[in-house]
Amino acid sequence: MDIDLSAPHSMGTTIIGVTYNGGVVLGADSRTSTGMYVANRASDKITQLTDNVYICRSGSAADSQVISDYVRYFLHQHTIQLGQPATVKVAANLVRLLSYQNKNMLQMGVIVGGWDKYEGGKIYSVPLGGTILKQPFAIGGSGSTYLYGFFDQAWKEGMSKDEAEKLVVKAVSLAIARDGASGGVVRTVTINADGVTKNFYTGDSLPLWHEELEPHNSLLDILLASSSPEPMST
Amino acid sequence: MERLAIHHANGMEMVAVKDSAISENGTERTLYPYVTGTSVIGMKYKDGVILAADMGGSYGSTLRYKSVERIKHIGKHSLLGASGEISDFQEILRYLDELILYDNMWDDGNSLGPKEVHNYLTRVMYNRRNKFNPLWNSLVLGGVKNGQKYLGMVGMIGTHFEDNHVATGFGNHLARPILRAEWREDLSFEEAVKLLEKCLLVLLYRDRSAINKFQIAKITDEGVTISQPYALKTYWGFSAFQNPSKGAEGSW
Repeated sequence: MDIDLSAPHSMGTTIIGVTYNGGVVLGADSRTSTGMYVANRASDKITQLTDNVYICRSGSAADSQVISDYVRYFLHQHTIQLGQPATVKVAANLVRLLSYQNKNMLQMGVIVGGWDKYEGGKIYSVPLGGTILKQPFAIGGSGSTYLYGFFDQAWKEGMSKDEAEKLVVKAVSLAIARDGASGGVVRTVTINADGVTKNFYTGDSLPLWHEELEPHNSLLDILLASSSPEPMST
Repeated sequence: MERLAIHHANGMEMVAVKDSAISENGTERTLYPYVTGTSVIGMKYKDGVILAADMGGSYGSTLRYKSVERIKHIGKHSLLGASGEISDFQEILRYLDELILYDNMWDDGNSLGPKEVHNYLTRVMYNRRNKFNPLWNSLVLGGVKNGQKYLGMVGMIGTHFEDNHVATGFGNHLARPILRAEWREDLSFEEAVKLLEKCLLVLLYRDRSAINKFQIAKITDEGVTISQPYALKTYWGFSAFQNPSKGAEGSW
């Protein structure tokens, strides 16, 4: 069986980064798969690089973790030498450096997002190959293929923090609905001048999409509700 | 090429072929591009040189990034347009940044002209090709120095040449015939823009990876100007487009 090597590899995840008026909101699903098996259904794909910069990881879990570790290490030294927090641009460029120089061996696409006092909230995309692109919003991972149309329609410049967070949660939830490689909960990390806020949205708090049904404890509950209430008997 | 033997549960053996980016002797080579830009077209005109490209970064067949600047100015005298892998283009810009920096540090009143930059790029591309690790780009280098106009191209295997009009990728097939027929030495800026836009429109209709968002850049003795991003109107009003199966049922 010949593997098609010339098509881009799709990666088992949905990751999103969005800028808003004052900071950024990063979002991701929580499914890590090995082949068809879900190895971890509650993973945290939004990893800290510094106090003010986080990275959304997709692709090979190992590659993205080890690169994050190296970049965290370099940024730590850089912060000490600089005497102040590292900027998002520097963090993103360090990720780019490692991704580009090892492009033949790595399989990872990431979104670097954070807040610094010079530029405010910024999002940088570093896809396969090591290209770096600053964007007002970014999507990545296999689940992102289902979101291009959604963002083309729903994205607006200058959203508030709540609007941005709602957009991210809605988008990840839509991707989870259609992408087999994405699933679990929706994690978000919001970064602004006041600091970092992490949130966690489980399936029951998310809206239901097409052909999805209201979850129940058991069929029995449904049957009981539909027929006339039975008299209690001792 | 590595061959991986896969044994089926029923005892049959299947063989998969895997192309390794790391060959037996441990050195690396780039196999294929990921995020790519499509055609760049350029030509000389009366006052200098003019380049055009769209702002798309494709990821396979997906039009993933739509604001990629594929034309950048290099020093005072040159413009560089690139198609192919965007990460390699970004790396080339870093090399050129260093080159120009060192040039400025001499502080001797001289500055690298387009001919020199083109030659530098040719050496870089050819040497990478010899190591089987190319920078996956087709580059268009245009510039003006002391009134002399220059326009050249370098490919990922080191092929390089100068001409009055050049194009990369699909532009070679679609734009160059138009340029061959209609280019003149004394085109004004307006005429040059119109001619380039004619080519850009054909590319938009016929190149799947083209997007409707362009930048046109010009360089003259006075300096560099890169336009803001803009889109072109497209024409779909041919009567034959209304009902393609009219003449012959089932035709398209």
